[in-house]
Amino acid sequence: MIFKQIADMINMGLVVLDEDLKVHFWNRWMALHSDIPADEIVGRSLFEFFPDLNEPNFLRNCRSVFTFGNFAFFSQKLHRYLFPLRPVYSDKTPFDYMQQSCTMGPIRCRDNRVQFLFLSVSDVTEVVKYEEQLVEMNSKDALTGIYNRRFFETSLQTEFKRSKRHGRALSLIMIDLDYFKRVNDLHGHQVGDDALRAFATRVQSRLRQSDLLARYGGEEFVCLLPETDGPAARDLAEELRRMTAETQWVCREVELQLTISVGVAQSRPEMDGFETLLKKADDALYEAKAGRNRVVCYD
Amino acid sequence: MSDTRFSTTEKDILQELMNIGFGQAAADLAQVIGLSIELSIPDIQLFKVCELSRHMAEKMAGEQEFSLVEQYFLGKFQGIALLALPARSGKKLVSLFGLQDQCNWSSENLEMLEKEAMIEVGNILIGACVGKITELLNDVVLFSPPRMMIQDVRDSILPNHLFAPGSLAISLKTVFHFERKKITGQLFLIANQDSIAWLKTALNTFMEQYE
Repeated sequence: MIFKQIADMINMGLVVLDEDLKVHFWNRWMALHSDIPADEIVGRSLFEFFPDLNEPNFLRNCRSVFTFGNFAFFSQKLHRYLFPLRPVYSDKTPFDYMQQSCTMGPIRCRDNRVQFLFLSVSDVTEVVKYEEQLVEMNSKDALTGIYNRRFFETSLQTEFKRSKRHGRALSLIMIDLDYFKRVNDLHGHQVGDDALRAFATRVQSRLRQSDLLARYGGEEFVCLLPETDGPAARDLAEELRRMTAETQWVCREVELQLTISVGVAQSRPEMDGFETLLKKADDALYEAKAGRNRVVCYD
Repeated sequence: MSDTRFSTTEKDILQELMNIGFGQAAADLAQVIGLSIELSIPDIQLFKVCELSRHMAEKMAGEQEFSLVEQYFLGKFQGIALLALPARSGKKLVSLFGLQDQCNWSSENLEMLEKEAMIEVGNILIGACVGKITELLNDVVLFSPPRMMIQDVRDSILPNHLFAPGSLAISLKTVFHFERKKITGQLFLIANQDSIAWLKTALNTFMEQYE
C-alpha cells in the first residue's frame, strides 16, 4: 500500500514489464506525461504504444536483465530519450521531447528468479539545457559568436591527427586585421567591436561547413581547412584578402577601410605535431604583416 | 581483522566455481548479444590495495593502447570491475551492437558513439560475469552506471570508501575474445577485503550442497 503510494507520488517515471515485455505497472508520473492511463496500458505489450522501442538495442538490454539480472543504463547522451514525452516546460526548451536518463534492472521473485524488469525514467531536460549552454559558452567567442581559441586548438589537434592517419590534406590560415588599433583609437571600442563581428560574419559566410573559423586573439582569426591543400588554401586566403579590401565597411555609421594580412600553411608528412603547423602559419603571417594587405604561404 | 587466507581446497573450489560461472556467462552472453564469446579460465590473485598499479601493470604488460570501462558492484560481494579494451575496438563494437542505426545519431559525434559502445559492452560483460558468480553464491548485487576512464589503467587507484588503505583485495581476471569481430580484452573484477571473508563462507556453504 505504502509502496504503491510512493511509486505514484515519486517525481520520476516507473514502469514494470514482464518477460513478454507486457506492462505490469505504469506509475502516475508515466500516465501524466504520456497521456496514457495505467488501465489502458497495463497488460498490453509496451511496443503497441511505443513501437520505436522494438529495436535490437532495447531488446538486448531486456534480455540481459532477464538472463543475468543485469542493470542497463540508457544515457541521455546516446539515446536522448526512451519515451517520446512532452517536455514539462515545452515553451522554454529547445527540445521536442523530454530528455531522459533511464535505468533498467531486475525484480526477482522469492526463489531469486528474475520475474520482471523495472524501468526508471528521470527527466534531465533542464540539466541538458544548461550543459549545452555551458559547452557553447566554453567553445564560442562571446564577442563575435564564432569559435574561441580553446575550441580551435582542440580541433586542430584532432584534425592534425586525422590528416596524418589517413594521409589527407589539411591547411591553416591565420589572419590579422591591419592597423586595427587605429580603428579603436579613432572611433572607439564599440565601432571596433562591430567591425570584428562584421568581419567574422563575412568570412564565415565564405567558408564551407567543414571549415572552422575561430577568433585567435584580439584582431587575429584562424581558419582550419580540412581536406584542403596549400594551393586551394592560398586561393581562399587571397579571396578573403581581396574581399576585405574591396568591401565598404560601415559600422555604427562610420565608414571603415579594412585590410588583412594572411599567413597560410599546409600540413606536411614531416611535421611531427600540430604545433609545427601552427608555427608555420604564424611565421607566414609575420612575414605578410611586414607589407600588410597581402598573403604569404609557407612552402 | 577477518581471516582472508585461502586454503588450497578453497582456492580450488573458487577456481572451479569461477570456471562454471564464466562458462555459463559466456553461453548466456552468446544468447543475449547473438555473438560467440570466449572467456579464458579466470586467474585469481590476492594483493594489497596499495599495490593495485603494480598488479595491473604486471597483468597488462605488453598491451598496446587501450580504453578502460569502470563499474562498481555493491552487495556482499563488492568492489570494482575494470574492463580493458584495445583503443581502436570502439568502431568494431559500434557495428557489433548496431548502434550506428540510432536514429538520433549525427556523424560528428562518432567518438562519443564508440565510447558508448565500449560502455555498453562493459556493462553487459561485467553484469554477466559478476551476476553469475554472485548467483552461484546466493548474493544479489547492484551496479553503478559504467563509465569510461581517461587515465592509464596502470595509474588506477581503488576508491577509499570500498577499499580501506592497507587492506587486501582479490582480483579475478579473465581474457575475453569476440570471435567474429576479433576483439580481445581483459576483465578485472576486484573485490574488497570484506568480500574475501564473505567469499570464503559462501564457498563453504556452496560445497556443503555436494557433501
